[in-house]
Amino acid sequence: MPLLPPLQRPWQRYLRSVLLVGVTSLLSVPVHRFVSPSNLVMLYLAAVVIAAIYLGRGPAALTAVLGVLAFDFFFVQPRLSFTVANSEYLLTFLGLLIVGLVISTLAARSREQADAARRREAQAVALYELSRDLASASDLDDILHVVVRHVGETFGREAGILLAAGDTLQTRSLSPGFALDEDEMAVAAWAFEEGQPAGRGTDTLADTAVCFMPLRTARGVLGVLGVQSIEPGVHLRSEQSRLLEVFASQAALAIERAEFAEQAREAQLARAADELQRALLNSVSHDLRTPLVSITGTLSSLEEDGACQGDPVQRSLITMAREEAERLNGLVGNLLDMTRIEAGALKATEEPCDIQEVINAALDRLGDRLVGRAVAIDTAELLVPMDFVLMVQVLVNLLDNALKYSPPATPIGVAARDVGGALEISVLDRGCGVPPDELTRIFDKFYRVHPSTGAGGTGLGLAICKGIVEAHHGRIWAENRPGGGTIVTVALPQEPPAPAAGSAA
Amino acid sequence: MMSEGGPRVLVVDDEPAIRRFLHASLSAHGYNVFEAINGQEGLVAVTNCRPDLVILDLGLPDISGIEITRRLREWTSVPIIIVTVQEQESAKIAALDAGADDYVTKPFGMGELLARMRASLRRAASPTAEPVFSTGQLTVDLGQRLVTVAGREVQLTPTEYDLLRTLVTHAGKVLTHRQLLRQVWGAGYEGEAHLLRVNMSNLRHKLEPDAARPSFILTEPGVGYRLRVASE
Repeated sequence: MPLLPPLQRPWQRYLRSVLLVGVTSLLSVPVHRFVSPSNLVMLYLAAVVIAAIYLGRGPAALTAVLGVLAFDFFFVQPRLSFTVANSEYLLTFLGLLIVGLVISTLAARSREQADAARRREAQAVALYELSRDLASASDLDDILHVVVRHVGETFGREAGILLAAGDTLQTRSLSPGFALDEDEMAVAAWAFEEGQPAGRGTDTLADTAVCFMPLRTARGVLGVLGVQSIEPGVHLRSEQSRLLEVFASQAALAIERAEFAEQAREAQLARAADELQRALLNSVSHDLRTPLVSITGTLSSLEEDGACQGDPVQRSLITMAREEAERLNGLVGNLLDMTRIEAGALKATEEPCDIQEVINAALDRLGDRLVGRAVAIDTAELLVPMDFVLMVQVLVNLLDNALKYSPPATPIGVAARDVGGALEISVLDRGCGVPPDELTRIFDKFYRVHPSTGAGGTGLGLAICKGIVEAHHGRIWAENRPGGGTIVTVALPQEPPAPAAGSAA
Repeated sequence: MMSEGGPRVLVVDDEPAIRRFLHASLSAHGYNVFEAINGQEGLVAVTNCRPDLVILDLGLPDISGIEITRRLREWTSVPIIIVTVQEQESAKIAALDAGADDYVTKPFGMGELLARMRASLRRAASPTAEPVFSTGQLTVDLGQRLVTVAGREVQLTPTEYDLLRTLVTHAGKVLTHRQLLRQVWGAGYEGEAHLLRVNMSNLRHKLEPDAARPSFILTEPGVGYRLRVASE
């Protein structure tokens, strides 16, 4: 169907309708001798239909009116006059006028519908192309680039995307020749925070040159899409701004998808790194421990063997070697524990434990070293969620320190109590105490209060305690004891009332 | 099933140095020692050598110690002592749940290992518990459901008695939390650790001279409990 150029000026179309009536009248001149005037009207009707199809509603109506006048003037008796001899023709005029006007309306409406359908098709194609390109985009930058390019092509506008980075907006992709000043950034921030369109053509801050659409998904607002007209003063039609909203939501979904994919990839990487670390630690632990197992085993076997029982010197040498091997094993264990804590690979498996059992297990582990020491235990039966093995180690380390840094004749205390929903376990000694300004630093790695006293140790014991307690979401601190000595206290949060009693059958 | 060379012991460990010192020490103590260098070989060796006891390393390169324990328990009740490092806490418990009898933690002294081996062999030799069990001042008469400490009768609730009876029938053996919960409370209760803790605490208060320092029912840190036998 041949189309007139769409941007034809209105007066040109009206001029054409006048010409059309003139041409029809000229054509009718040779014909009117052979047909009756009432049939000649059909030519004018044809002219009205042509005008309606090609020129629009107004020119078609003008054609109908001019057609009636021309028909009356040229072909109805008396000719070349507007007077009508036979009043029957008034009906013909009326018919021609009404039919002309109705046809012009109908034809014009179908033309408008065709135009609308064409525009919808164009929008659908634009959306389809956007979706297709978004689907094949491989990463976030690709997606942003695709959105900016499509907004530019479809709406003839500059576009830019700003994405949330933490609490602020960050410009991620701009079409060339598009820059945002400070005021426009403020409008973008408003659109982002409120999740509402803002700027040109909206209800909010409309005197800005740029229009910002929030990129919204079910999860929230991811950022904003900014659009600016290339020619100032050309506004988007309402169906165009609806299409722009659809573009924005498509873009938001694609960006969300890319972010999810990114997160999944990061999680996978972290898991792989975690596994590698665990495997490494286990293998190092195994390789360091294996020789120690043979050494300790062999020496203990010799110790119990009858072979050197007769020779006390040899026997004491073997005992010393075995004890040193055990000490070395303890140091290796400390280093591995510290590595594990620093790598974040230490996980506390918390389940309700009786604090008395924990204290007993710690005292058992220290064994002979407690011989000759008065240990005062002050505890009630408390079921508190904790990792049994790890907490035993904390107590062993604390008691070990208390033994090391207090005179052999002084007593050591262990106290556990419930303090406002938290379990506090303290280890008390009557040793030399800690200088006040070092009370927090003693929990640092490799930090030792009296390096010169040669009391042994790597300075890792308390750091490990701290790591374990923190894995329980607890706190550990040291204070000087009134009357001399040190108190180290561990506070573990208690879960809301453990389902302890009641089930005792 | 003891041969003339003393009890037959199978050592399953992938470290040559550890196998060597175990071989030397155990032989010196009159054991007849066989070796296997991995799990596959170990499983075959149990069938071929008919050991009286298996010492099983948990960190074998081919088959996990837990899996070996499980496969052995399908057809034999030979005592299994597992050897672990401290970092294998959960594997150790899983192996005990699967039916291993006892464990030692690396590095271990020979005295400790030998004591565990003797206890396991003794239990294997007399699998049915005596009707009357006693350790220290504690006496449990399973026939009459009578429990006395230093000659004085102790009243226990049915649950406490079941718990004590389970420990007595496996005297000297480590029982994991899961095993105790399953045997005393039933199959659905394996996760209810607090039930066990509360009843164990009550039981200790009634039996032990000093509940804070138990001398009959010993805690195996993070693993479970063990009833001390007289000779320990």
